[in-house]
Amino acid sequence: MNFIQEGFAQAVTLLVNFDPATYSAISATLRASSLAMAASLALGIPLGYLLGFLDFRLKKQVRIVVNTLLSLPTVFIGLVIYALLTRKGPLGEMGLLFSIPGIAIGQVILALPIVVALTATAVEAADSKLRLTLMSLGANRRQIAAGTLWEVRLGILAAAVTATGRVLTEVGISLMVGGNIKWHTRTITTAIALETSKGEFGMGIALGLVLLLIALAVNMFLAGLRRRS
Amino acid sequence: MYLYQIRDADHFYGDKQVLSIADLTIASASITGLIGPNGSGKSTLLKLLGFLEEPTYGTILFQGRKAAPFSKVVRSRITLLPQEPYLMRRSVFDNVAYGLKVRGDTSGLRDRVGEALTMVGLESENFARRKWLALSGGEAQRVALAARLILKPNVLLLDEPTASVDANSARLIRKASLRAREEWGTTLVVATHDWQWLYETCDSVLHLLHGRLFKGGLGCAVHGPWRIGPNGMLHKELEDGQLLVAPKPEEGKHMAVLDPSRLTITLPGKDILPERDRNKLNGFVIRLFLERNGATVQTAIKVAELVITIRMERNKIEALRLYPGKEISVSYAPEKIEWF
Repeated sequence: MNFIQEGFAQAVTLLVNFDPATYSAISATLRASSLAMAASLALGIPLGYLLGFLDFRLKKQVRIVVNTLLSLPTVFIGLVIYALLTRKGPLGEMGLLFSIPGIAIGQVILALPIVVALTATAVEAADSKLRLTLMSLGANRRQIAAGTLWEVRLGILAAAVTATGRVLTEVGISLMVGGNIKWHTRTITTAIALETSKGEFGMGIALGLVLLLIALAVNMFLAGLRRRS
Repeated sequence: MYLYQIRDADHFYGDKQVLSIADLTIASASITGLIGPNGSGKSTLLKLLGFLEEPTYGTILFQGRKAAPFSKVVRSRITLLPQEPYLMRRSVFDNVAYGLKVRGDTSGLRDRVGEALTMVGLESENFARRKWLALSGGEAQRVALAARLILKPNVLLLDEPTASVDANSARLIRKASLRAREEWGTTLVVATHDWQWLYETCDSVLHLLHGRLFKGGLGCAVHGPWRIGPNGMLHKELEDGQLLVAPKPEEGKHMAVLDPSRLTITLPGKDILPERDRNKLNGFVIRLFLERNGATVQTAIKVAELVITIRMERNKIEALRLYPGKEISVSYAPEKIEWF
């Protein structure tokens, strides 16, 4: 049990002493997940709105596909993105393999179905009188979309929280697409995997705690947003 | 020129026809009442008049021109207060100001919101910063009305605006709506069962039955079951055992309607000349309501489970000495009963 206590102590030491390797991993984690979340929310909220708001043929089928994508294994996403970004792959010339943007692309594929599905559910659950009200007050189509999304903002916030949690804690994509390169693409989760494989459980637990602290900070920020709204 | 002209407008939800208006005009700055049982198409007609939906077939002209949902003229001039208004998850101020904000017309917003709230009897200082969930039902309804009045609309469509509010809120809602007509010449179309609305304030009253306009005033709808009588006519046994006789309906029609303009009221046993082709039903007066013109009275008569409303001359009321509770007879010609 000593290594667990050691882990707690080491976590504090790493953070207080500004350990460069730890902060490099924190930085890589935050950069990749911020990029991924920005892209996922920018794409996912409008797509979720359209999926929830519009009635079209094959809507049910699209919902089933989106819901299925919620179960995508991260190693499978990592494998597909690796295949696309590798030198011989169709996007190899972009030079994104073993880079933070490369990891972010994989994480977008992980987060996007979550944002789309939960936003669509929130929009579908919105009061049916909302659209009538917005229309009768003179809103155009764009203003109805904005008004509806603002009304279901707590649902969208829940989508953002869920997707952020998934992106922050995934390891498969970061490992396969990022390559776990120290000072460059080593994220907290890949560092934990490495330290654990080396038998450095204390260090692994320390990094795990750091990850939890980051998740706590992100969720406190989102809870603040929820309170304000 | 008429503000609205509707010609041969039919509206369907899926395969079900919910409205069929052959001909309807509404004059500018008028107040039109809409009455009819649940599911008769009142809310649908209001949505069509608000261009929130387009009729499946036919056209609705607004100011002589075809209009469509989201067109500029519709968005800037027509507004609808739904039966159960939805307040957005914002403060009262933001709810009332929303319509002006989407128009980009935000000058003097605070004062204008204050005026709109005052119009519906709410003090701006007390209510503007309140959240949507800190309002009673009547307050929420009045905030929703203020959100429409602030737009100074050409047309204000009200769907049962006083159905679920207390008497004071109902009075304030009616007063604010009438002020809109007086101050801005707003045309009002009101779906309501409130007699005060219908007969004290409305210039005309339209009766909708099964999605169609009934031309003979407030028709009394009679639903089945019917049985075939010995003479081939249909018989409906009312709750008190009286028989209502009607001709056989055309295919697809299920509801008989007594046209009040074809009914005659007499005192029991006082028929001077009993007519051969007329049947009688006995009932009693339950309500008398003097209309705005001061010359006619809406007389509601209860016959078993039916309530028949007949417009009568005031002097006829006096001659028959009618009062609530007085027993009377209603005679009708079975062949003249219509089916919807």
